[in-house]
Amino acid sequence: MPNRAQIEALVIESVQLLAEDFEIKALGTLDAGTCLYGADAPLDSMALVNLIADIEDAVSEQFDASITLADEKAMSAKNSPFRSIDSLTEAIADRIEA
Amino acid sequence: MSTIVITGTRKGIGKALAEYYLNAGWQVAGCSRGEASLTHTHYTHFALDVSDEDAVVAMARSIKKQFGGVDALLNNAGIASMNHALLTPASTVNRILQTNVVGTFLFCREMAKLMRKSDSARIVNFTTVAHPLNLEGEAIYAASKAAVESLTRILARELGELRITVNAVGPTPIETDLIRGVPKAKMDALLARQAIRRMGEVRDVINAVDFYLRPESDFITGQVLYLGGVT
Repeated sequence: MPNRAQIEALVIESVQLLAEDFEIKALGTLDAGTCLYGADAPLDSMALVNLIADIEDAVSEQFDASITLADEKAMSAKNSPFRSIDSLTEAIADRIEA
Repeated sequence: MSTIVITGTRKGIGKALAEYYLNAGWQVAGCSRGEASLTHTHYTHFALDVSDEDAVVAMARSIKKQFGGVDALLNNAGIASMNHALLTPASTVNRILQTNVVGTFLFCREMAKLMRKSDSARIVNFTTVAHPLNLEGEAIYAASKAAVESLTRILARELGELRITVNAVGPTPIETDLIRGVPKAKMDALLARQAIRRMGEVRDVINAVDFYLRPESDFITGQVLYLGGVT
């Protein structure tokens, strides 16, 4: 079972690769507090779809776990799990534990 | 070498498509419920049920490891069961919807993820003239393919930004196992409704698929092409 720091590192690496692919300059320096999706956040819906697919794939490769991030729980959550690197890290940890 | 994924390659149109694209120099990844019925240096087979989500995900991961990505997907696998609606059990309905709709969707989803690095990826789904002809005895099969057509049109829009085209080909009856149980009188009546009244051949399907796969077809998406002059 990966620890939180390992999951956060995976998220940051995935966001970095996506920022390069989509040339998103607003995603220069990344840390747990970096906003990703929502009002005035740097990702549009298509970039978010790509990021989620990349992260699910990376989680499978690095942690040998099959997770679905955009599940019913995520869609009905009061606060979107995709709003920041920190919330995304937590959502991944929740699903790996489940 | 470009990689093409073809479902339902054990027999019929799927096997012919696999052989055709192997001869054309593609790397082919095929699947069927049973073992492979063809061997070739550039053919990789996966024995799975196309509606088994875990198995399709595992196949996609294996393809990614072996070939890096996917350039084209032909969602050929499909089943039919000619029967009057009053005599069709729910188990048959579920089986047809699982293979034709869920299977097509799962392959579109998983292979599209592997197409994101390709500059001009292609998905070709398989429908049927039974849908536009409102063919009696094929209610569930035609309904399942109506779903595939809707899926094709919407995925064309959702995947357009990723430079993936999504189209469908709708063959007329072709001499394969799929129509083995259809009576001759029924078949003759069906052919009479086509503009060109002959049985379809595998080459007709290959020609339509080839058209969608051509690099020049990168502005063609969300389309359904019926063979035999059916509209």
